[in-house]
Amino acid sequence: MGLLSPQDEATLRQHLSAISKPVQLLLFTQTFGGSESGQVAKQILDEIASLNDKITVVEKNFVLDTEDKTKFKIDKAPAIVILSNDVDTRMRMYGAPTGYEFVGLVEAILVAGTGNIDLEPETMAWIQAVTTPTHIQVFSTPT
Amino acid sequence: MITADAIEATEFMDLSRKYRVTGVPKTIVNETIEILGGLPEQDFVRAALDLPETNP
Repeated sequence: MGLLSPQDEATLRQHLSAISKPVQLLLFTQTFGGSESGQVAKQILDEIASLNDKITVVEKNFVLDTEDKTKFKIDKAPAIVILSNDVDTRMRMYGAPTGYEFVGLVEAILVAGTGNIDLEPETMAWIQAVTTPTHIQVFSTPT
Repeated sequence: MITADAIEATEFMDLSRKYRVTGVPKTIVNETIEILGGLPEQDFVRAALDLPETNP
């Protein structure tokens, strides 16, 4: 049985219809010694991908796929890396994207797939002016 | 230049302890700036990018 109700699927499908560029979701999971949240994350991503054919899920092994792990600087699992047309958006999610995190994931997919960023022009200008590496970590909980 | 991580706090307790996450959302920027709670868009970006209160 799916995690999303038929009604949720219909709503989400409509939101995702705005996507015009391919979105790849790289999911790093750890089979042995990892938590169950990797499997939950996989099921959530698969259900989202089933609603729009521009979205694909690529599963990576956190232990074995060292090249990609290094390339995307992944140091913990489960991790979701969001690519827009094979380009790294530098947006990451760590842990299963349930509850409020699910909304954040969908928003990130929409940004990657549409290129539309819903920010004030002034805020955008501040962000575009950043010239030093900036690592933002936001901690949240599903409820 | 900017990398943004959303981290499920209860899944990564070691990190949550490291950054003293006692409430959510809590934002850490470059290991130095801490923002607790949600802020309006411009206030959040000002705080995260360490911009002055007036025009940047």
